[in-house]
Amino acid sequence: MLVQIAHFLSILSTGLFFTTFLLSFLLDNKDRNITKLISRIYSHGFLLLFVSFLIYVFLALNDSFNVLYIAQHSNSLLPNFYKITSIWSAHEGSMYLWIVFLCLWGFLYSYFVSPEDELKAKALGIISLIAVGFLSFLLFTSNPFETILPVAPIDGADINPVLQDPALAIHPPTLYLGYVGFVIAFANAISFLLNGDNKIKWEDSVRIWSISAWVFLTVGIALGSWWAYYELGWGGYWFWDPVENVALMPWLAATAFIHSLSVSSKSKLLRIWTILLSIMVFSLSLFGAFIVRSGIIDSVHSFANDPERGLYLLSFAGILVVLSLAVFSYRLPSLISNKNIVSFSKESFISINNIIFGTLIFSTMLGILYPLIYEYLYLQKISVGAPYYNAIFVPSTILASLFLFFSVDAKWQRTYKVINTHSAMLLSGILSLLITVLVMFFSKISSLWILISLFTGLLVIIRYIFVIVNFLVNKKYSNPYSIAAHIGLGMLIVSIALNSEFSSERAININLKGKDTYKGYEVSFDNLELIKMSNHDSVKASFVFSDSKGKRFILSPEKRKYFTRGQITTETAIYVTPLKDIYITLGDQLEDGSWIVNIQFNYFIRWVWLSAILMALAGSFLAFSLRRVD
Amino acid sequence: MISVFRFFIFAVPVSLLSFLYFFINDNDYYPGADFTVSEMPAFELNALYDNSIISNSDLKGSYLINVWASWCITCRIEHGFLVRLDAQNIPIVGLNYKDDKDDAIEWLSKYKDPYGLIIHDFSGSLALDMGVTGAPETFLVKDGKIIAHFSGEVNKRIWSDLFVPVIKKEKVKWNDQI
Repeated sequence: MLVQIAHFLSILSTGLFFTTFLLSFLLDNKDRNITKLISRIYSHGFLLLFVSFLIYVFLALNDSFNVLYIAQHSNSLLPNFYKITSIWSAHEGSMYLWIVFLCLWGFLYSYFVSPEDELKAKALGIISLIAVGFLSFLLFTSNPFETILPVAPIDGADINPVLQDPALAIHPPTLYLGYVGFVIAFANAISFLLNGDNKIKWEDSVRIWSISAWVFLTVGIALGSWWAYYELGWGGYWFWDPVENVALMPWLAATAFIHSLSVSSKSKLLRIWTILLSIMVFSLSLFGAFIVRSGIIDSVHSFANDPERGLYLLSFAGILVVLSLAVFSYRLPSLISNKNIVSFSKESFISINNIIFGTLIFSTMLGILYPLIYEYLYLQKISVGAPYYNAIFVPSTILASLFLFFSVDAKWQRTYKVINTHSAMLLSGILSLLITVLVMFFSKISSLWILISLFTGLLVIIRYIFVIVNFLVNKKYSNPYSIAAHIGLGMLIVSIALNSEFSSERAININLKGKDTYKGYEVSFDNLELIKMSNHDSVKASFVFSDSKGKRFILSPEKRKYFTRGQITTETAIYVTPLKDIYITLGDQLEDGSWIVNIQFNYFIRWVWLSAILMALAGSFLAFSLRRVD
Repeated sequence: MISVFRFFIFAVPVSLLSFLYFFINDNDYYPGADFTVSEMPAFELNALYDNSIISNSDLKGSYLINVWASWCITCRIEHGFLVRLDAQNIPIVGLNYKDDKDDAIEWLSKYKDPYGLIIHDFSGSLALDMGVTGAPETFLVKDGKIIAHFSGEVNKRIWSDLFVPVIKKEKVKWNDQI
């Protein structure tokens, strides 16, 4: 009964969102009472949807296995925590959560933005239209409310063991919040184009929303990377998996967008870029949803495949993209600014940044699509992997960082002398070179790309440290958020370079009570025990590591077999030190009784995530500071 | 200049979208389907109800093999369609996969038994030889050769899109003993 109520509430909310959309396009947007009305209808639509979701959470907690989706993805033995997270462990439920988040952003927007804002009514209308599109997708092709009649199963099929992990509670929700958060910027951009009044500064009002969404997207991607590292046993931070790439593209576009936005909100330059980027960020989010949900690409994230779903999402995204580009193209002539961008001004550097990011997005898209085109033409499956992406991302990132280095002291709308004997610039160049040479000398790095990356990463970090020093000593104001985020970027480049240079792995073949050595550590296989748990059996091995200085620690990787699905998972064991992780996974037992064990030394891997966290923190503080200005 | 720009901002996404449209509308786009012909592996296993021995010699002509288990929720959803196939006199051999015998029998008494014959594959050995990765999966066998294999729930759409064309093309004569 409750599930029918939840279903009905979500249908009702679809109706209310559709009403919001119709009214916002039919009524006069300049009347603030009408804007208030539209925003009330929207809020009520959201309220109904939210209640419907809460009922669904309640149903999951109470093991309502008459609901098909809950029966397929939950189990009465699961702890309550996983009963809730199981809601977004597969297609229907995660789509549901995605929509709730989409509408939540719209609700916050309608609550916080004043009805005086001329763009508000239409923006809410556009958000509602998108909500209607996704809700119809949910209700018609991926209904989470479907029931099993007449007899409900006694127990559920259980959540996928890989997903029985606390990270499931935060990685998908954070990522979804990021993906759909850009709907505010998109809706405002389209509302601005439809309105036709160039004096409206839509860029100002969407800054806080876009930066918040960017923070969620950054954190969501970093969490996914960390989760794949310790749970899936992949042993790295990035694999150029198609689903990682479809998250990376909106992130790149969003990063370019928020930079471009800061230009357009100060002067009206780069407006075309900003609008185009806002359309691009949201379209790429939709494209990501399409790639993941249609199952046209094999990946760890594959959901149940259904051509109908793919077709729906593709048509929906297609209509949205083509319509928004049509409006954009219609208004294009009036958007062209007659002011030229001054060379070597901040604007000029940000336009170069936009071009580099655009190239990266295009190349990533090509990497995702090339296997599909090839399969379509030659009926063969190929995959595009790390070598392709590295060949594009490494030089582009180095180039972008060099431009960043030269742009630190650039001024808005004024030129400045780039090549001068500016002491901070010169000193940071010398220092970075010195450190790079020292690292090269002591650790015998031979790869030129690694050295150049290391050098540019250091260049960015040290240059910004000089900015901080200048601020502390001379009280010369600089934007603290920009400093923190760009130091994060520098750290990211340095840690990625060092990680790929120093990390190593080896598979060893070892007997119980046997010994081996790897990279100065003596590894002894101490113990092997069988553990019976409520929902799985586990083989747990203990390895004692000791180095020449007599430091000892124990790592206990596991292999588990889950009963309900018969799935076998490996649980890695990781010893974390500031500079490196010692990472060990248990492989198969060979016929002679020995075990294959994979040992990895992952250098600077924590620093990769730490850099991402630093960028995200910078973004969140920036968002808070913008809130105070409002 | 503007018109060139306009052309590009439309041309790139539109060509991308149309390619993807053609790609997913391609008829072969059924991820769980496999039409490579392979031999039906040799086996000797017990029947579910009476423990009698079943081997290849008991299975002649054309029939379906459906892999199922009482612990499998999707099988429960697929079940209604199998009962309908059985009503049309299509022979279905059940391959009870990694399942407890009593659970399986109880399950069938509750939801009807569409199978003419049920092999109890407790260790999953036959299923392994046939390339089963989970339940439910359905195989179409003709004269000792597997000619169609679908992983996932068989329903009306899958049946009419994937199985019926093969049945017509291969002129399948159903085994009426099962």
